[in-house]
Amino acid sequence: MNSQARSKLTHFLMAKSIAEALLVGALAVTFFFVAFPPYFEGWGEATPNAIAGWAVNRRQPSQRVEVQLFIDDQFVAARGATLPRPDIVTAGMAADEWHGYSFEIPALNEGHHTARVYAVHSSGQGARKTLQLLGNPIQFSVTGDQKAH
Amino acid sequence: MSSVEQQTVINERALAGWEIVSIACSLAIAEWITFAFAGASKAIGAIPVILALALMVLSHRLRNEGLRDLGFRLDNFVNAVRLLILPMLLVLGICLLLARWFHSPVDFFRWHPGSFLAVQLALGFAWGLAQQYVLQGFINRRAQVYCGRGWLSIALVAAIFSALHLPNPVLAAATFVGGLIWAAVYQRVPNLFALAASHCLMTWVLVATYPPAVLQHLRIGFRYFG
Repeated sequence: MNSQARSKLTHFLMAKSIAEALLVGALAVTFFFVAFPPYFEGWGEATPNAIAGWAVNRRQPSQRVEVQLFIDDQFVAARGATLPRPDIVTAGMAADEWHGYSFEIPALNEGHHTARVYAVHSSGQGARKTLQLLGNPIQFSVTGDQKAH
Repeated sequence: MSSVEQQTVINERALAGWEIVSIACSLAIAEWITFAFAGASKAIGAIPVILALALMVLSHRLRNEGLRDLGFRLDNFVNAVRLLILPMLLVLGICLLLARWFHSPVDFFRWHPGSFLAVQLALGFAWGLAQQYVLQGFINRRAQVYCGRGWLSIALVAAIFSALHLPNPVLAAATFVGGLIWAAVYQRVPNLFALAASHCLMTWVLVATYPPAVLQHLRIGFRYFG
């Protein structure tokens, strides 16, 4: 193989490598936005008996978001965020108020605990489900009377 | 050998190595990323395969390799079959023994029960020809440039073929053995049609003797997981 042919082949190999790197990068970014769309917003707090808050899909504000509660990294429960939260309409987060959730706190040991509420998102024609953390982890303590603080 | 000639030899070798890596990467990207994550868009999934094909065609042209050089020929078909028969019978015997050992029912109509066996064998031959072209007609030839003719290049071809069938452990092991046999035969008698027929028949034997659950329906790459 002469040097001109070698040079041509080398250039093609370089171009192919760049094209494949761009393809993989584009697929990774696309997949990330499909599986983890940045449209979910929410907030939660610990009340004496429950973990309560709201969840909205900003891209489809009329959609009810499914949420899952984990306490200390253990799954606790899943449900739709369908309770009334007039404050989110006032804040301009959604057109209607039916985006609230409330999970009763299960029996826990005394001490500090961390709750995380995730929005559930389906993609890949329902074949794939991903979780996105809503707001910040909720720190709370359980005292002897089983009340959260 | 002068320094200029020595440099030329080294460059040729490095280029062959780069070509092997590039083709293996394209196939790995197709198996592990594009076909798994491109979703319904088969056109996007085919991009690395098309790039690999373009590289192989360009490389053949620049190296003045014709179809006959690659092994698309019939004059040495019988010689290649002669070399293949004994190892194929050995593999058949081992597969039947393993099936008996594991109490797995042998069913030669199991491959794709919904379609005619003759059609399945024809498709299997075409798929085998495509795989053997890439494996022997390209990778084996470049491996011989990279590390010379003999066991080292044969083992390299088999290792690449096996790695491209990961994470399916049974297929990875079977393709390593098959890769050794086919690469060794190709280096002695380069005939892709004989290798494609052998590839098809060995796949048929494997599917007929091993339970589908063990073979994981021949799934490889990211699809192996679901």
